Amino acid sequence: MKASIQGLGVVGAFGCGVAALKESLLQGPHSPGELIFTAEGEERRMAAYRADPAPLERFVSKRETRRVDHFSKLALLGACLALEDAGALEGPRDDLGLIIASGYGATRTTFGFLDSVIADGDPCASPTLFSNSVHNAAAAHVAIQLRITGPTLTVSQFEMSVASALGSALAWLAEGRVRRVLFGAVDEICPVLGYCHRRFFGASPGPIAPFDLERHSAVPGEGAAFLLLDSGGSSRYGLIAGVELRRIRAGQQLPGHTAFILNVDGHPPCSGHYSRLLPTGAGVAAFTPHYGSFPTGQALDLAVAALALRDGRLPPGICGEALPNGWQPATLDGGGVTCVTCDGDGYFGAIRLTASSENVKPDATGIKGMENGCQK
Amino acid sequence: MSRAVSVAVTGAGCLCAAGPDLDSCLAALFSGQRAPASPRLFTTGHPVPYPVFEVEEDFFPATCPPDSGLLRTARLAIAGAGQALADAGWEAEALDGMRVGVAVGTTVGSAMNNEDFYREFRSGNRPGMAAIQRFLASNPAAAVARRFRLNGPLQTVVNACSSGSDAVAVGAQWLRQGRCDLVIAGGADELCRTTYNGFVSLMITSPEAVRPFDRDRRGLNLGEGAGFLVLESAALEQRRPRRARARLVGCGAACDAHHLTAPHPRGEGLKRALREALQPLKDDWRGIAFVNAHGTGTPDNDRVEGMVLGELLPKVPFHSTKGCTGHTLGAAGGIEAAFTVACLGLGRIPASVGCDHPDPQLPVAPVTRVTEVAGRYALSQSLAFGGNNTVLLFEKGDRP
Repeated sequence: MKASIQGLGVVGAFGCGVAALKESLLQGPHSPGELIFTAEGEERRMAAYRADPAPLERFVSKRETRRVDHFSKLALLGACLALEDAGALEGPRDDLGLIIASGYGATRTTFGFLDSVIADGDPCASPTLFSNSVHNAAAAHVAIQLRITGPTLTVSQFEMSVASALGSALAWLAEGRVRRVLFGAVDEICPVLGYCHRRFFGASPGPIAPFDLERHSAVPGEGAAFLLLDSGGSSRYGLIAGVELRRIRAGQQLPGHTAFILNVDGHPPCSGHYSRLLPTGAGVAAFTPHYGSFPTGQALDLAVAALALRDGRLPPGICGEALPNGWQPATLDGGGVTCVTCDGDGYFGAIRLTASSENVKPDATGIKGMENGCQK
Repeated sequence: MSRAVSVAVTGAGCLCAAGPDLDSCLAALFSGQRAPASPRLFTTGHPVPYPVFEVEEDFFPATCPPDSGLLRTARLAIAGAGQALADAGWEAEALDGMRVGVAVGTTVGSAMNNEDFYREFRSGNRPGMAAIQRFLASNPAAAVARRFRLNGPLQTVVNACSSGSDAVAVGAQWLRQGRCDLVIAGGADELCRTTYNGFVSLMITSPEAVRPFDRDRRGLNLGEGAGFLVLESAALEQRRPRRARARLVGCGAACDAHHLTAPHPRGEGLKRALREALQPLKDDWRGIAFVNAHGTGTPDNDRVEGMVLGELLPKVPFHSTKGCTGHTLGAAGGIEAAFTVACLGLGRIPASVGCDHPDPQLPVAPVTRVTEVAGRYALSQSLAFGGNNTVLLFEKGDRP
């Protein structure tokens, strides 16, 4: 079970599009922006990686998006960029399915709807805000604007959202349910999430120190990453060769022959699980300081991995002064990349990519093979 | 790997306003009992009370108390999943070492919309984090997996009102791929003020008891509940033969790509989903015993659904069970999958409660009395916000 990546669409604090992501990866991450909100009667400012969907105007008129919220605009922009990158902005889409992953959904609109209830009373609740707050509103807007009439699926599994949803994308292709899948992930930051972040973890001025596993350095972020996938033999960005999502078992480790891109983002409760899961000496990299910490950030890791496979080399990861656990800076010598994320509940999501089908080893072609490849 | 490979349904569980378990729900459906009432779980400021179908607190098992630190949706999911496992003959301990996946459809269960917390935040106070911790602990698929100590893949589907059906389709796919030995799949959703206010704002809720497909229908009644199926791999089925209540033989899904909240006026997405689900039968649809329609009681839904059924399956009996359950949103697909499997086994379907005067504008009418049905197959269909349409095709099983 595998999928070829034919197009990438990304938006985040680094900007919009593959070129902006690549420049950020080569030049180093920007400083985070700011999230300003009022809490406890005072204005609060905290570092946050913000994304701007304004370039969406290039694809969809302002008139058509006048009732589309920030969350769905991020998704729509990512979707348009991925299709454009693949040269598929035009043409029939009867054979296209749509899958979107999100950790928290359209939080700004969710609380905006509550604003309408609290400020004006139950009978004055806003129908527009309500319908846009539903988790699959982004998928609906993407489908409507891009005329996608195949199956659509929206998944919300917190940090495991990307791995869970991508598994379904690969299955749709493997079963021939659709010929192509537009797969994406999106999350947004809002004042309530900022408040929660501060209450749970305290303030962090940034930057994220991804491999300082025991120190809180997370800076919240937002963004979207979309991939146009098909089951064809040739690929512009490499192949997704397998996805695994399950609880970390005692003594279980992932096989160490690929480069690992870890979604370590300065959250100690999650970071410790990477130490359990990866073998000593594993080749690792992290890129979260380019886009911040959010539940579906793994999709941007996936985009970085795809770019690396296309270019034949990994961009310089953010390692800090020293890597823990005897880990080494990752290279592409092993022929593939595995994107890994762990949650605080002890689950991991691992996505394996290779440059081409020739590089797909017998034990790495799918989920089952990947499980068999785990070192115990 | 082929979509033509069917999957055994070895267990079904359900709780909703109609009853605390599948048997009592079926008894209520077949006797036409229903008791929609003004919300008791929350207060509202609407001048007109819109009735809802609430789950009684004593419908929850003692193992899912209100102070369990979980949202009501997660409690419903755990209760429904537990029933389905028991119906399939599985003790939780027996699942140790097996690859067991959990796929759950929901809407409210994934929404970070605690109104009390937000009121405090908005007022400049310092709300405590208990509500957020409860939300984070209550992802429905994760909560079920945690409760039954399961180790397989998780997926919480948030496809609005088709979520439960989509979750069942996801679970079947995991089995066909060999990712799991067993999957618990279905839907769960709770009533809450936010969704209540939202649906009222859209002007699709009825101020009286819901009347699916009726001439005088005025909208839906919200409900809550959970419905789950246990799906098993072929290998597991061989180890435990003659356990299948039914087989899931087809799934279809398609998007209208038309409007955020209204169905396509010609039902294009639903037709495509129906045809995809029916592919395993090729062109011979004579074996279809009945259709469990989405049948929400809104003017638009019932008009489109009636039109599509009239066009594609004009002679097949159909019914809506929402007259007894209300519209349980993300749970509806799971609950109605459980009903469909059970009714297929019984060989009869209940009346569409609330449909006293079938709409003469529709080309077809639902059954209005308990009806014996013949045929090996049955369909359960769901339509949703965002233009999702999902259809499941079940075949009669071999359970004695």
